[in-house]
Amino acid sequence: MEISLFDAAAQGLMNLMQFKVLFALLVGVSIGTFTAVAPQGIGMPLVYAMLLPVVIKWEPLTGIALLIGASSVSAICAAYLPVLFGIPGGGGSQATVLDGYPMGKRGEARRALGASFMAGGMGCLIGTLTLVLAIPAARPLIYLMGSPELFVVMLWGLSMVAVLSGRRPVKGLIAAAFGLLLATVGQQAQSGVMRFVFDQPYLLDGISISIIALALFGIPSALDLALTRLGVEQQPAPLKGSLFDGVKDSLREWWLVVRCSFVGVWVGIVPGLGSQVVDWLAYGHAAQTCKGARESFGKGDVRGVIAPESANDAKDGGDLITTLLLGFPQGVVTALFIVALLAWGFLPGPEMVKKNPELIYSIVWIQGIAGIIGTLVGFVLSGQLAKLAELRYTFMVPILFLFILMGAFSVNRDPVDLFVVVSFGILGYFMRRFGYPRPAMILGLVLGDLMEKYLYRSMMAYGFSWLLRPAVVVLLVLAMASFVLTLRGRLKGGEGGGVSLGRRDGGS
Amino acid sequence: MKKHIPGEPTLLSEYMPGAGGIKAVNHIYKNVRPDGLTVGNVGGGLVSNAVLGEAGVLYDFNKLIYLGSPHSHYHWVFMTRRESALGSLEALRGASGVRIGAQSVGHSVYIVGRLFAYLMGLKEPKFVVGYSGPEVDLALARGEVDARINNADTLLKRNPEWLAKGVIDLHAIMEVPKGAKHPDFARLSEVEEFARSEKERKVLTMLRAFRQVGSPYILPPGTPKEQVNILQQAIAKTFNDPGFRSEYKKLTGDDATPLLPDEMDRSIKELPREREIVELFKKIAGAGPLPPR
Repeated sequence: MEISLFDAAAQGLMNLMQFKVLFALLVGVSIGTFTAVAPQGIGMPLVYAMLLPVVIKWEPLTGIALLIGASSVSAICAAYLPVLFGIPGGGGSQATVLDGYPMGKRGEARRALGASFMAGGMGCLIGTLTLVLAIPAARPLIYLMGSPELFVVMLWGLSMVAVLSGRRPVKGLIAAAFGLLLATVGQQAQSGVMRFVFDQPYLLDGISISIIALALFGIPSALDLALTRLGVEQQPAPLKGSLFDGVKDSLREWWLVVRCSFVGVWVGIVPGLGSQVVDWLAYGHAAQTCKGARESFGKGDVRGVIAPESANDAKDGGDLITTLLLGFPQGVVTALFIVALLAWGFLPGPEMVKKNPELIYSIVWIQGIAGIIGTLVGFVLSGQLAKLAELRYTFMVPILFLFILMGAFSVNRDPVDLFVVVSFGILGYFMRRFGYPRPAMILGLVLGDLMEKYLYRSMMAYGFSWLLRPAVVVLLVLAMASFVLTLRGRLKGGEGGGVSLGRRDGGS
Repeated sequence: MKKHIPGEPTLLSEYMPGAGGIKAVNHIYKNVRPDGLTVGNVGGGLVSNAVLGEAGVLYDFNKLIYLGSPHSHYHWVFMTRRESALGSLEALRGASGVRIGAQSVGHSVYIVGRLFAYLMGLKEPKFVVGYSGPEVDLALARGEVDARINNADTLLKRNPEWLAKGVIDLHAIMEVPKGAKHPDFARLSEVEEFARSEKERKVLTMLRAFRQVGSPYILPPGTPKEQVNILQQAIAKTFNDPGFRSEYKKLTGDDATPLLPDEMDRSIKELPREREIVELFKKIAGAGPLPPR
């Protein structure tokens, strides 16, 4: 007998009211928090892989509480590394470094963390709410975007180079082009051709974006501390701002949070985009639309923290829409979650929506509750974590290098990655020194692979006729308008304006 | 497996990503001490990558020691979207430029799809690649591609409504090993029925062998016979253990169809090695146009 969605939602909540389920949720939240606070490499895929053989022997709801509790919190608590040390967080929190770290250096680490946790919590709730609303009609959302439409969206994303280049458009283009070039390293999926591999098995899969981002931002930050001989908050600036100021910032910028959360949900829903683009798309959207962003973004504008963090946390809701309602995994973590559901006898997809709606709502409730707990945990921890920024450079520099090397090594467990992270770190140091914007290079790297894939698929499936598809035309017009407006604003701003992401004083 | 090895040693697993398993096999072949203490478990590309001379292969698959594989039965079905109006073999052969979706050049779904298209005599089929598995389903559903091949069990699990609602038309099946009927698709033509020559049948045999080795457990060459025997017996006992079979079903959703070392060795030995067959296979599996028949 089928039950109404309201009854299913109520039943889903009631099913959670068991001590063991709530306890498992708290354990999951603790694991997720530890994962976020520990060195970058302990990612959620590893945690899921370790937990899976254990939890599939439990009752489904208890196991689900543990898994979802862990994964939903890890994103909320991921901002402390970029804010305090200038090291990009895991996938989805990398763009936070652009404004988070300058805030930390200005003595506003607590405010940045407060804004990040609050925006993350709000994003998580918006993502969860969207999941609830999507349950009756998820399929059309996912079928809406074909390869041609996705290519135009990626092209739109690439136009953000204009924003990320600040006052140095030529250097921005060079950096972005280098990023696009790096994205071509490895075996080309469409033709099987090896590009820039030089017979090295290491290069067959290309170079990991995580490693390059870690190197480009992390190593120059650590070198900066070593060379200035000061801790992050020992810069000649007074400590100011509290966690509560950050909370107020996020509440005041609620409309930005909502917009970026929808960016996050959308990235989560569309198969194949993933967490590597979510923070950059949200950051670019904020940089293009926020008032005064040209002057302040990249120099420690709290909106540059709020945008990526809200999008990253909302993405989990989007991920679950595709995972639960269509049975399509959106990455390693959701693929492992599907394995767990299969082991418990549930088949994610339309059948599960029909047969087990109360379980889907239980997952929704767990996601929402874990988001709230995660935000609170973030607040409690951040007071203590922020003190790390006051440590002397003699303590911090070796620890930072250790974090960076461990983070790089943990991506593939390959010693060659250590050499690569150091090499790109040196490159990042000189890029910053000579004013080449590193975010533009990361953007080229992140979008290059996706753009090539979508363009190839569009050409093979439709020839040039894909250019005439109505949705493509609309998106192209919007992208062009946005690019022209950005460029015009930049030209009007002249020398005085522009995001200074390539300079020493910002975006470290 | 632990309880079937004397002394019940603790087993640790280490994940080694890279180059579709080539890196892990290279490591087992070149770097690991042949003392039976390190066992590799790699994907089915182990044999095909070596036979086809893929870049990065630094091992001789004939010298590796095989312990067996938990899964050796596969069924691939070729399907078209009903809205594409390609419901019969005549319609398929009559249409030019049928768009067939797959993951990437070299992926098993791509290779099997190309072989179906070649043997069924499709006219200038276009292969649209760059998707993940579920993305190919989406592309098929929204008409971005007209056809795809997929594992029969995956189709039943992921899109049962496609069969119930008549969203797709099924045309043929490939059974691995030959003759292993799938209970739900036994009525479909086996792809070998479309082969016109001994050469084409050998190419099919080669592909079946590549798939049949599944995800084998391997030891480096030179491992002492005693250790090999202990591990081969332990694997055989594990595969026959009802606890293993139920756990396998629970984790993968599939029934285990083990391949023991003797059968695996036989399958590898019987693999066609003639240069002519390898070259034809490479052309079919490659990125260029399909070769003339």
